[in-house]
Amino acid sequence: MNGFKYGLGQYAVSIVLPACFTLSASLSQAAQNVVTEQSYLEDFPVVLSASRLSQPLSEAPNAMTVIDRNMIKASGFRTISDLFMLVPGMYVGNVNGHTPVVGYHGSTEEFSRRMQVLIDGRSVYLPPLSTVDWEDIPLNIDDIERIEVVRGPAAASFGANSLQGVINIITRDAASVIGASLSLAKGSEGVADAAVHYGNADELLDYRLTVAHRADSGYGTPILNDAKFTNQANLRANLHPLGANSFDLQLGYSDSTRGMGIYPKPDDIFRNIHVNSGFQQLTWLHALQNGDEVKLQFYHINQSHVDDALASPNAGAIVAAQTVSDRQDVELQHTLQLGKSHRMVWGVGARTDYADSKEMLVIPYTFKESRIFAHDEWKLSTDAMINVGAMVEDVGMGRTNTSPRLALNYHLTPQHTLRAGTSVAYRTPSIYEEKVNITGAYVSMGGLRPEKTISKEIGYLGELGSTGISLDVRAYDDLVSDIIFADPAATPSGWPFGFANLYSANYHGYEGTLKYRWHEGSNVIVNFARQFARCEITGSATNPLYIPLYLQQNINDCPVSVPDYSGSILLSQQLGNGLQMSAGYYHMGGIKMIAGIPQTVMNRVDFRIAQSFGKVSQPGSGEVSLVVQNAFQDDYSKYSLTSETNNIQFNRRAYIGAVFNF
Amino acid sequence: MSRFLISVLKTSCAGLACALFLLLDCANAAPLKLTLVLSEAGGAYREYSEALEAMLVNKSVTLQVIEAGNTLPESDFIIAAGMKAASTIARESSTAKLAVLVPKESFNKLLNEIASQPKGAANNYSSIYLDQPYKRQLDLITAALPHVQSIGVLYGQPPEELNVIRHLAATRKLVLHERSSVDVANLYNNLHAILLNSDVLLAMPDAEIYSASTIRNILLASYRNKVPLIGFSPAYVKAGALCAVYSTPTQIAKQSFGFIQEFKATGILLPAQSPKEFEVTINEQVAHSLGLNIKSASKLRSDIGAGP
Repeated sequence: MNGFKYGLGQYAVSIVLPACFTLSASLSQAAQNVVTEQSYLEDFPVVLSASRLSQPLSEAPNAMTVIDRNMIKASGFRTISDLFMLVPGMYVGNVNGHTPVVGYHGSTEEFSRRMQVLIDGRSVYLPPLSTVDWEDIPLNIDDIERIEVVRGPAAASFGANSLQGVINIITRDAASVIGASLSLAKGSEGVADAAVHYGNADELLDYRLTVAHRADSGYGTPILNDAKFTNQANLRANLHPLGANSFDLQLGYSDSTRGMGIYPKPDDIFRNIHVNSGFQQLTWLHALQNGDEVKLQFYHINQSHVDDALASPNAGAIVAAQTVSDRQDVELQHTLQLGKSHRMVWGVGARTDYADSKEMLVIPYTFKESRIFAHDEWKLSTDAMINVGAMVEDVGMGRTNTSPRLALNYHLTPQHTLRAGTSVAYRTPSIYEEKVNITGAYVSMGGLRPEKTISKEIGYLGELGSTGISLDVRAYDDLVSDIIFADPAATPSGWPFGFANLYSANYHGYEGTLKYRWHEGSNVIVNFARQFARCEITGSATNPLYIPLYLQQNINDCPVSVPDYSGSILLSQQLGNGLQMSAGYYHMGGIKMIAGIPQTVMNRVDFRIAQSFGKVSQPGSGEVSLVVQNAFQDDYSKYSLTSETNNIQFNRRAYIGAVFNF
Repeated sequence: MSRFLISVLKTSCAGLACALFLLLDCANAAPLKLTLVLSEAGGAYREYSEALEAMLVNKSVTLQVIEAGNTLPESDFIIAAGMKAASTIARESSTAKLAVLVPKESFNKLLNEIASQPKGAANNYSSIYLDQPYKRQLDLITAALPHVQSIGVLYGQPPEELNVIRHLAATRKLVLHERSSVDVANLYNNLHAILLNSDVLLAMPDAEIYSASTIRNILLASYRNKVPLIGFSPAYVKAGALCAVYSTPTQIAKQSFGFIQEFKATGILLPAQSPKEFEVTINEQVAHSLGLNIKSASKLRSDIGAGP
């Protein structure tokens, strides 16, 4: 009721002000200078309601890496996918200059299908391939507030397809950009980026708008045609007319042209692909007086991918190919506090995925999914907490997946926490895996089972008093079963290929993060991971010769499908007078992806130096920066599936950046 | 309710209760004629009025409760609850007056306005302020968050006691980041700037900066920057501020009762003062989410200690 009163009051003021500006402005000035007891006595709606409050790391049921704006800046990375090099155990490779491969704990291949990727709760893990087109996401790296990377399956909290982990990107709030700013970057390998941000926060409406352009010439090698330019725009607006309600609207559009092709592969000639996509997302958040909350969210994503000259293997012809995909999703979520010791989230949702590709699928397909989930944070005592939850998902065709999760967090002291947990998650086969039909090349028989993970972990989180040191370590053991893999036909050539549930993999190891902060803006973050993998053939192939002749070799190489050691160090140092320096070191042991070309040990050192000027976030302020990537020309090879692109290195490159606030 | 109470009070001196408990009062004087003027009938004013009435039972005081704007009855002592009531009785020069549920700065402004009035209407006007002394607020911050090194404040016009808070911060080796001339138009730029280098944001009762229409974005920005907001009323804490120290209308009624007793016994009007009794409230969910391991509200209350 109070909210309603205030809402109307504000509305009235905003109409009156422009009409008789001078008079009402001076009157309100006089009135506002007198403080009355109303400031002390008035009531407010709950602003920081349940879903706006994030769970502290020491109570999260999973290991989690948070990449915040300071880390993004310090890293000097231009693309979102590179940021995951700051996550222990995560693999970031590049098929070419615009197609990154992001994977966690093995099972990584070109389409990195085994992690859920959410942007403000919107799943961008899109049909028909069930992969994330990182270059196409209509999101500028500057608009990211933080990224929470859940290391391990978390279907109970994040929904379907979080088989090995979840990348949860949270973008900046509509009210967080005030005024206009211009960012520019120019450098070697054709780097030419520009972004304009504009925003305003008001009593009724907050909004921010970004228009950006990003271009570079890729790896800069004659073997690859991988230049790109991408244009994107997005808008986030938040209308909060009544105290307890807010409506968050997001719109985005992205359009990119990218080179494709490997020299001298006749079936991968130099040509362009054109990808454009858009999304609309509306979220209604209703905060109840006791801090409970109801959230209703709808989003729609559509994408078109046109390949100027797709060569179907063995089809003998080069054709222009278009793939159109579409996703609609609606979800209702209720967060409530039950007594002192239970905080519960439950909800229902439904999704429709559509894909149409004459060349790949022949006819369009629609997959429907619906889900119900519940999760309880149960405080047993001040020291012990249990997170228990499950998601039950109907993925159509009579199949239901149940993904439970149980974790115990025990605080030895408020600064030292032990965590033990187990969870189950599934990955539903993609439309492509189920329905692909490229004559003579890929023809699916369908009927695939979902891939399944059973994960177990123990972890420790600690803060060493007031030294500024924190440590987050864990040991894990994940069994991924029914892994879907290419399955050749029983023909002499093997063509066409289909897909089958062929093998299982066990991934185990330990990993962690050490942070030390000695001053505001001065800190070091050290990530490390030690990984082991073991695979086993569990399915039967259509062609009985396939397993001994081909798959067995890949399974034998499974232990090197993860790097033995990997890690990163990100050091940031405030040098005073607005001068900031940072350095990143990235290391990955030798690796040979299943069906990939071996990559030798990789090392890379990046530097960034930046000088800010003007008063922070005031008009006239800004920053100039210089970023040098792979400063010492260390070996840092790209992900490769063919011998032609073997051993292409990420060479030293540099770019100058500038930000001006108006 | 009040009619009934008044009739009870009127007859109380003759009663047994009076003989037993209020022998001195009854023997010395006729009942004190007390008028309570409320700015509004409901809310905090009503809570104050009811608490005071309950305390005056059998105390040889006749209480009349009226709303501001009505004719004042003949009185020995007038209490005004809220600024509206405080202004309407300000020019009553011959009677002792007490303003409650009023901010200190507003009350002092009112005193200045009537200072030129004849017969010294300002001289017999005292107050129990609604706001907490800055010392108590800083005590709360240091008790709740011992590692805090800097405090941010935003204000339009400099508050009257700006020097007090500057001095208090300096003696505790706390850096005070100030942004002045803040209004709705430049609020968010200033807010962003101050959140960048402050450990906590201390809310000031400036209605242009902290209001029902701005509190949402202030709280969201402070949470996003992991800079907790320190409020000055329980409503802030419910909305999402980390903690607040405040006095309830009942606690202020109790202090007012002390004023009445002193006046009745000695004829002296106690000087204007800050609230003596107070509460601390914390938002445990917010503290928890920010990873702040802070003491319970009752422990913080006892840490801050009694009185200014």
